[in-house]
Amino acid sequence: MAALMGLRRELFSLARILTGISHLGPRLGACSGHRKCNTTSSHFPLTSSTSFHTATVFSSVASSIQVTEEPDTLFQKVSIIVKGHDRAVLDSYELFATMAAKELSITISKVYEPPRDVERLTLLKSVHIFKKHRVQYEMRTHYRCIELSHLTGCTAQVYLEYIQRNLPEGVAMEVTKTAIEKVPDHILEPTWKDHPIDDKPSQ
Amino acid sequence: MATHRRMAFLCLARINVLGLQKSVNRVAYATALSVKSSTGNKRLPDRSSRKSMGRKRDVEEPRTQKMPVDQDWTAVYPAAAPFKANAVPLPVRMGYPTKGGVPPEKRGNLELIKIPNFLHLTPAAIKKHCEALKPFCTEWPSALDTDAKCDEHFPIKVESTDYVSAGPSLRNPLARIVHLKVKLSSLNLDDHARKKMLKLVGERYCKDTDVLTITTNSCPLRKQNHDYAMYLLTVLYHESWKTEPWEAEKTVADMEEYSWEDSPSQKNLLDMLLRMKVAGEGEGEEMQEQLLRRSEVQEYKNSVVRLKNEGDSESAMLQYKEAVKKILNL
Repeated sequence: MAALMGLRRELFSLARILTGISHLGPRLGACSGHRKCNTTSSHFPLTSSTSFHTATVFSSVASSIQVTEEPDTLFQKVSIIVKGHDRAVLDSYELFATMAAKELSITISKVYEPPRDVERLTLLKSVHIFKKHRVQYEMRTHYRCIELSHLTGCTAQVYLEYIQRNLPEGVAMEVTKTAIEKVPDHILEPTWKDHPIDDKPSQ
Repeated sequence: MATHRRMAFLCLARINVLGLQKSVNRVAYATALSVKSSTGNKRLPDRSSRKSMGRKRDVEEPRTQKMPVDQDWTAVYPAAAPFKANAVPLPVRMGYPTKGGVPPEKRGNLELIKIPNFLHLTPAAIKKHCEALKPFCTEWPSALDTDAKCDEHFPIKVESTDYVSAGPSLRNPLARIVHLKVKLSSLNLDDHARKKMLKLVGERYCKDTDVLTITTNSCPLRKQNHDYAMYLLTVLYHESWKTEPWEAEKTVADMEEYSWEDSPSQKNLLDMLLRMKVAGEGEGEEMQEQLLRRSEVQEYKNSVVRLKNEGDSESAMLQYKEAVKKILNL
């Protein structure tokens, strides 16, 4: 049986990719830990630019998707915080991000707006003297937080790259927190059981 | 131009001199004028050709007039582009309204060009993009529905942050920080190993949630920090199972929990019971063991242990009071 999801898949082998959790525990325990799939970027720009304008390229895109035997990372929670100076732009961006998540069937657990920060400065208005006359500036930073849950590594990579490429210019910044789940493998049993009186520093 | 006018006036003068009828004059005047205009047309392109061609183009209607209602908008704005007033068929007005008026129209409006627009990300466009992206996504395993199941199969959680912002550099040094969180109950630790682990780890352990957090930021890359955190966890685990010879010097002050055996409280109680001669005569260890096995003594022990470990509370004090009353037969 195939191991868990890899990054590039062949479309005719979709059926054997999705395996139940019954194979998950011992299988992943046997593997030497998860490795991140880091090969999307070479293919992604190709597909995104070509498949919008022409429909004929899609067949070549499909054939370039391959399944690898690498186990996929799992993200229990992905939290996206967008910062900007303009609340209207963040509203639009939130609409875009939530719609994209729904289209890609990603569960959105929470979308909320943290309170804004205002940084104020009071400076002297004149270059020289006139201490009583000042000018005040303020910088308003609005936030928007989108929390997604239960993402695989491939889906997270695809979604985050799509989101980040469509970030509006300058006004919005993004901070992504990812929590990955893992299974310890060499921490299952202490090595001292076989050698009770031992001073081995490593496993 | 001046010579043309002179010629026209000469024509007029000649007609007036001849004494022709007004209509004829008018006709002549009209023809003279028409002649002038036709000659003007032939002459103008030579002198200022570019001006006339530009003026001709302004008369053309903007692209919005020619757009059908059911057009493919994703073809008009396929990628992020500034706002083009003659390509967006919306009657948008933006800016501060003039006195007794309305905000300025979209034609030549800098405010509309300045702000970021999402015209390339309409719902239709998003659906198209996601259709193209779907083959690269994988599904979440259906058996891991709840967080409890995730914790059971995957107890270690690794947190890290990515930063995207505009600036001279893409990199953010805070992106290398890795937090590794694991519940100690999910690790294979016995009593001694757990206590030693807690002592080794110190502040990184949270008692309420039973979560050990290891934060690494000493390496320059995230992968290195992650490997270092896993290495630290491995070392902690294996070291806590080891029993060093100097651990035998652990004193009562080092103990994490209060244990009643061999404590001053137990000694005091036994002395008191022996003096009260509750169980009759006879001394020695057998007597002590017999006393210890009595239920009142056990109750007293439980109440004292609870008070010492959990702190003072109403119910704990009441329990202690009941236990003391039973022992002293009040």
